[in-house]
Amino acid sequence: MERRAFLSLALTVPLVPALAQQAASPPPPPTISATGINGGERGLSAFLAIAPDGQVTVFTTTTELGQGTHTGHAMIVADELGVPMASVQVVVAQPEPALRLMPNGPVAEMYTGASFGNRIWEPRLRRAAAAARTVLVQAAAERLNVPADALRLVDGRVVHAASSRAVAIGELVADARRLPLPETPALKPVAERSVPRREPRTDIPPKTRGAATYGVDVRLEGMLYAVAVLPEVFGAELESHDAAPALAVAGVSHVVPIPRGLAVVATSTWAAMQGAEALRVRWKATPHDALDSAGVSRALAGGLARAEAQRPRNDGDWDAVKAAAAQVVSATYEVPYLAHAPMEVENATVRIQGDRAEVWAPTQHQDWMIRDVAQALGLPPANVTMHTTMAGGGFGRRLHVEVAVQAAHVARAVGRPVQLIWRREDEFAQGYWRPAFAARMEAALDAQGRVTGFFLRGAGPSVMFDYRPALFRNPAFVDPFALQSVTDTRYRFGQAFRAEYARVDLPPKVWLWRSVGSSQYGFFVESFLDEVARAANKDPLALRRELLAHDARVLAVLNTAAEKAGWGTPLPAGRHRGIAYMEAYGSLCAQVAEVSVNRGEVTVHKVTVAYDAGSYVNINTVESQIEGSVVWGLSAMMGEKMTLKDGRAVERNFDAYPIQRMAGVPVVESHLITSGQPMGGVGEPAVPPLAPAVCNAIFAATGKRVRALPLSDQELRA
Amino acid sequence: MVQVTINGQARQVDAPPAMPLLWALRDVLNLTGTKYGCGIAQCGACTVHVDGVAVRSCQTSLGEVAGKAVTTIEGLHPQGQHPLQQAWVQHQVPQCGFCQSGQIMGAAALLKDTPRPTPAQVEEAMAGHICRCGTYTRIKAAILDAAQRGA
Repeated sequence: MERRAFLSLALTVPLVPALAQQAASPPPPPTISATGINGGERGLSAFLAIAPDGQVTVFTTTTELGQGTHTGHAMIVADELGVPMASVQVVVAQPEPALRLMPNGPVAEMYTGASFGNRIWEPRLRRAAAAARTVLVQAAAERLNVPADALRLVDGRVVHAASSRAVAIGELVADARRLPLPETPALKPVAERSVPRREPRTDIPPKTRGAATYGVDVRLEGMLYAVAVLPEVFGAELESHDAAPALAVAGVSHVVPIPRGLAVVATSTWAAMQGAEALRVRWKATPHDALDSAGVSRALAGGLARAEAQRPRNDGDWDAVKAAAAQVVSATYEVPYLAHAPMEVENATVRIQGDRAEVWAPTQHQDWMIRDVAQALGLPPANVTMHTTMAGGGFGRRLHVEVAVQAAHVARAVGRPVQLIWRREDEFAQGYWRPAFAARMEAALDAQGRVTGFFLRGAGPSVMFDYRPALFRNPAFVDPFALQSVTDTRYRFGQAFRAEYARVDLPPKVWLWRSVGSSQYGFFVESFLDEVARAANKDPLALRRELLAHDARVLAVLNTAAEKAGWGTPLPAGRHRGIAYMEAYGSLCAQVAEVSVNRGEVTVHKVTVAYDAGSYVNINTVESQIEGSVVWGLSAMMGEKMTLKDGRAVERNFDAYPIQRMAGVPVVESHLITSGQPMGGVGEPAVPPLAPAVCNAIFAATGKRVRALPLSDQELRA
Repeated sequence: MVQVTINGQARQVDAPPAMPLLWALRDVLNLTGTKYGCGIAQCGACTVHVDGVAVRSCQTSLGEVAGKAVTTIEGLHPQGQHPLQQAWVQHQVPQCGFCQSGQIMGAAALLKDTPRPTPAQVEEAMAGHICRCGTYTRIKAAILDAAQRGA
């Protein structure tokens, strides 16, 4: 596909490029009109309502997972509407058409993902706020009997400067609601906007007092506590169970079948956990009860070797270019399964009253949670109300909604409100993982060391197959995550570029994990390019500049990282640098890692980050997300892996799954570039470059090329 | 019934003595600021003070704290303005925030014993606390800053 067309479609439909390719023409801007489900009598669109005292409520589509979008959305509305930040509160909406990603398109869903909290919602929120301002000013114009263009909305009041009169917006809502809402209102000129800026996050003060309400903190009158009991082997079905020992535990009242297992219900979480321990359960054997990590690696190798594969990118004649090459560099890389391990375990609280149900959960996907709970209870979706709580981390994990379905089963069975949680051990063993993945890459070089062609075969489970299976009714469908950041790379590899994907189906369920496919391809491609640079006897930065010479935007990102990190300048003895670059979710990110290796122990001293998201909302949260992404990438690279033995996860808690801790976290220096291009995401794109930047520095330090992760499994001693 | 002083108030807690303090706080006393993260004292999210000492409430039974003084994040400061809480806001530390009650309680115990810790002492004292969002650099800066201001 021609690159320009791909980009414009990708902006319209950021998550599902394959769907975008089917769209004949860009859709009209989505409606902002309200159904009344959120704003009621005070609503001025689906996005906001204004109380008589002038308090503005923003109905956001995004769950606050720590990424700071609730503050960002308040900033956008306060700025465009003309009200102080202090008079804006943000609540997560009930889904309604205007709040769905594509209201009339194939993804008519309200959810939080793909780093789209601002890149998608900033323009729509700004438009909604401008529309509200327009009708409020019109209402004031009629009341004051002056032309609308003689009025300005400032600090929550519509002001007529010439007569020194003003009307507070709270008094205008009823009149404004009778006016037609403009779908394409005039926006505030960019020069007059107060965004981007640094704004303290509104959710932080309560989080320092233990006062934020997460899903597990919901407490309802008469509520019981339930703990899920799940199999150790993915897909193992319940054979039999003996509830008596569980029911003998003081406080335990019920043992209830739920999808994938059982739930033990009690008067406290602890009693339910005791009951879960006591419960006797037998699970049916599965065909994969003997699967281990070596078997996973063999399956991935089989995917790399087999004849058939999907080939979404095939420019030029790779076979001919390879045959004519003066030198072919080739290597195979592999990464393991990874857990999300958010600090708050899976949980949901459900209350059923008559033919209505309410769900409280830290979910990333409100529409799916409502749909699946409604289906489980045999209710119409309109009878299910969603209360989205603060979330103790998401990282993609909470796009999965089965925990609420399980809670609904229990609430119905016991006839009382129920909070169901998963134990940490079950979250590790039965949570849905980042897939294990492998890639084989080949680069063709001519006699002068120029890259003339590039080949990549990725092999691994399909995230999209578990995430949106319906898409696979089309046999030609290619999981866009399976070659994420590869098929649409800005690199130009000479005369031929072939990218292939061989799907490998394995029993563990896989899922979207912060930066998804880019999380492995950053490591694969950017490490391998260092190998190519060495084979061509070139500086790694110089090689990348050659392959990106046509693209000023990405060169600026690469050069900024290199210059700020002092690329090419002397370092203290024992320190070495590595560089990597990747684009994901509309943002470009280059990182230079400064590393030392002593007796095989890797220390990352500093990571210099250059980042171009086009434009920004809250600089404060952008920097926090970059810092967090670097630590996320570091943690995975250093020691994270989910190991399979006898069909079961070996790592069941934080004692075995080593999350990065405070010691060893590098200095992170962020340099934001405002290119003015359409806004990209900030929650994920700084993850992929970290591992290759560090591993390239390890090569500079030791001459050892890391081709598999985590580092804790690699021998780096001289 | 177990008698415990919780955040300065004498309480009769109607729960079995074997129940971990974590669940007594959360499910019986509705003090939900203290969090369950792992249940095996590996993550620090459940950290509270017992007679001024930081403990993992998931591994401390209610019976063990009978007659003792328990301080949770809700009771660290009457207005939630402990110097560490102020520093946490100033440094914009939390992201998801789920671990931060435990982080702050761990840091408060450190500063009580070691009012002017070195960065290495901070790392050592906080090694038992996981932050999955990766806010460690800001946590460390906030602790050192609060220490400077005399927490």
